[in-house]
Amino acid sequence: MKRFAVLLIVISLFVPSFAHGATKVKIGFVNSITGPEAPIGENLSNGVTLAIEDLKKKGIDVELLKEDDTGKPETAMAAFEKLATSDKVSGIVGPYTSKCAAALAKLAEKYKVPLLIPVASKDDITRQGLKWTFRLSATTNDYAQILLDMATTLGKPKTMAIVNENTDFGTSGATSAKAYAAKKGITVVAEEAYAPGSPDYRSTLASIKSKNPDLVFMVSYVADAILLMRQSREIGLSPRAFLGAGAGFATVQFAKEKDISNDVFSSTQWTPDVSWPGAKEFNERYKTRFGKEPTYHATTAYESMMIMAETAAKAGGDTTRTRDALKRGKWNGIMGQVAFGDYEGYTNQNHHPMLVEQIQNGVHETVYPPQFAPKKPVYPFPGWGK
Amino acid sequence: MAIFEQALVSGILIGGVYALIGIGLTIIFGVMRVINFAHGDLLMVGMYLTYYIFTILHIDPFLSIAITIPLMFLFGAFLQKFFINRVLNALPQNQILLTIGLGLIMSNTVMLAFTSDYKILTTKYSSSSVTILGISISSPLVISFAITVAISLALTWFLRETNTGQAIRATAQDREAATLMGINVKRMSIIAFGLGSALAGTAGALIAPTYYIFPQVGSIFTLKAFVITVLGGLGSVSGAMIGGVLIGVAESVGGAYLGSGWKEVITFVLFLLVLLLKPSGLRGKSQT
Repeated sequence: MKRFAVLLIVISLFVPSFAHGATKVKIGFVNSITGPEAPIGENLSNGVTLAIEDLKKKGIDVELLKEDDTGKPETAMAAFEKLATSDKVSGIVGPYTSKCAAALAKLAEKYKVPLLIPVASKDDITRQGLKWTFRLSATTNDYAQILLDMATTLGKPKTMAIVNENTDFGTSGATSAKAYAAKKGITVVAEEAYAPGSPDYRSTLASIKSKNPDLVFMVSYVADAILLMRQSREIGLSPRAFLGAGAGFATVQFAKEKDISNDVFSSTQWTPDVSWPGAKEFNERYKTRFGKEPTYHATTAYESMMIMAETAAKAGGDTTRTRDALKRGKWNGIMGQVAFGDYEGYTNQNHHPMLVEQIQNGVHETVYPPQFAPKKPVYPFPGWGK
Repeated sequence: MAIFEQALVSGILIGGVYALIGIGLTIIFGVMRVINFAHGDLLMVGMYLTYYIFTILHIDPFLSIAITIPLMFLFGAFLQKFFINRVLNALPQNQILLTIGLGLIMSNTVMLAFTSDYKILTTKYSSSSVTILGISISSPLVISFAITVAISLALTWFLRETNTGQAIRATAQDREAATLMGINVKRMSIIAFGLGSALAGTAGALIAPTYYIFPQVGSIFTLKAFVITVLGGLGSVSGAMIGGVLIGVAESVGGAYLGSGWKEVITFVLFLLVLLLKPSGLRGKSQT
């Protein structure tokens, strides 16, 4: 009996983590909690909240340090420096917007702290040979490609107009769309980069209407997406299809504005009815918890936090070992297969398969590619029906 | 295609709302010589009032201005009586700091109370339009333009014909002389600021059905209001009207021909040209 007790003490000395019950790990999370991007930022926060709960169940106790970037790169940078130098986190997840993510990618390299970008999709971010920046999300190239692939299978569009906001995400989306359209033999007849926040886009839309494009490709955040579609209806702009590159067009708020959102396409990285493990359960759990549908922003944030925290916990919180493990690792979760590879000039980029949804009767329905899609797309756009 | 006509018409219509924002700012400046940097935030408060009157009481945004105007007038009068009146004789930079501070308090209070979520006010006519001669005209913009014109006319009549209006103008012309003539200058200031905020709030109400609402929306319009009033001549009501429509048209036509990214460039080139050629603004009187 005495010997047994000694044995127990010895064991408990050698495996202290068993005695405490859980591994502790410090992870930073930079997000747009306030500011104009906050409505989408909230989805990321919710996703991370659920991830932290699941990590706890797996025996990983995450000390989460949340920082608000208010949508501004300079605030995001200050937050990153604080997390890297004073909090000494093992890894950072975030930020939401492309302009903030582009700024933080350089800092990750400088401070040697692994950064996992969940959803910012500006193409260039992972094309600079950076070693400490990882990205789960697809890129703006993928956003444009899946939409144009779909459009060319559904019909024979010859012309396209591009409307985008003049931010990093918008410009990158427009450049990708233009390049891919050239490959597909579609002529770009109008390119309009607008400054977000203007109450009046009517004249721009009228000049697009005069060129009568088959496709209208839009890259906008939430409020402008609604505004642009409202004014398109007013002006009577009615192409074969409206193609929205995710962001504003993928939100529930946009879908709810049935008068203007019906039959609009949006590329997305995730839908509730996709066949990836845990996707449906995540959807149900999210809805009961937060009272609304999750967007792909929430799921990418969830999966990013899971991957980062698990990897960092296994690496004992060491930043270099965490980075190496991220580079080697493979995951399969609610975002499908995840691996950070080097290809086509990208480094540490996950090759994420994209989906297209269409708003039908105020709800986003997955319509493309056919192997994932339970519903059929409505094409061409049936008109405004005034 | 009638792109030019289309751009011109939407420019004039949106310019009407800009004018309303500008008039408010110009009245406040004219009477108090205080530049109101909280002007956009007053507009934002007007937007939120309209939004909640619409969602809770189900009163149409264009009818609810009958509630918004007096509420915003009282709010403005309150700000003047308890805050701005105290700094009337202070250094200009202190006055600017005070109004910026008031603006920040307003936008952040609204953010605390209603979160930073975008609110979209959707009425039956939010995206409806009528087509005349191939030009599609937004119905809500036409209504708001008509209301703007009516308010501007009423305001002009008030300032010209009524005793209070004349007293306000006298205060604007020469504060000391007005005091000597027995005008209660402080009272006039309160009325003027009340009028200014009521106009900003009304502009917010008129723009709410076609725009989106969030706590920081004010900053976009503060800058615009500033350009409009300086362009038209600080303190001049008719100048602000002209300035508003001019900026609306410049943005719209510029957006149609040079691309929407160039809109602001056109506005500010126009602005600089006026400042260079006529530093007191289009309708401004040169003052010392």
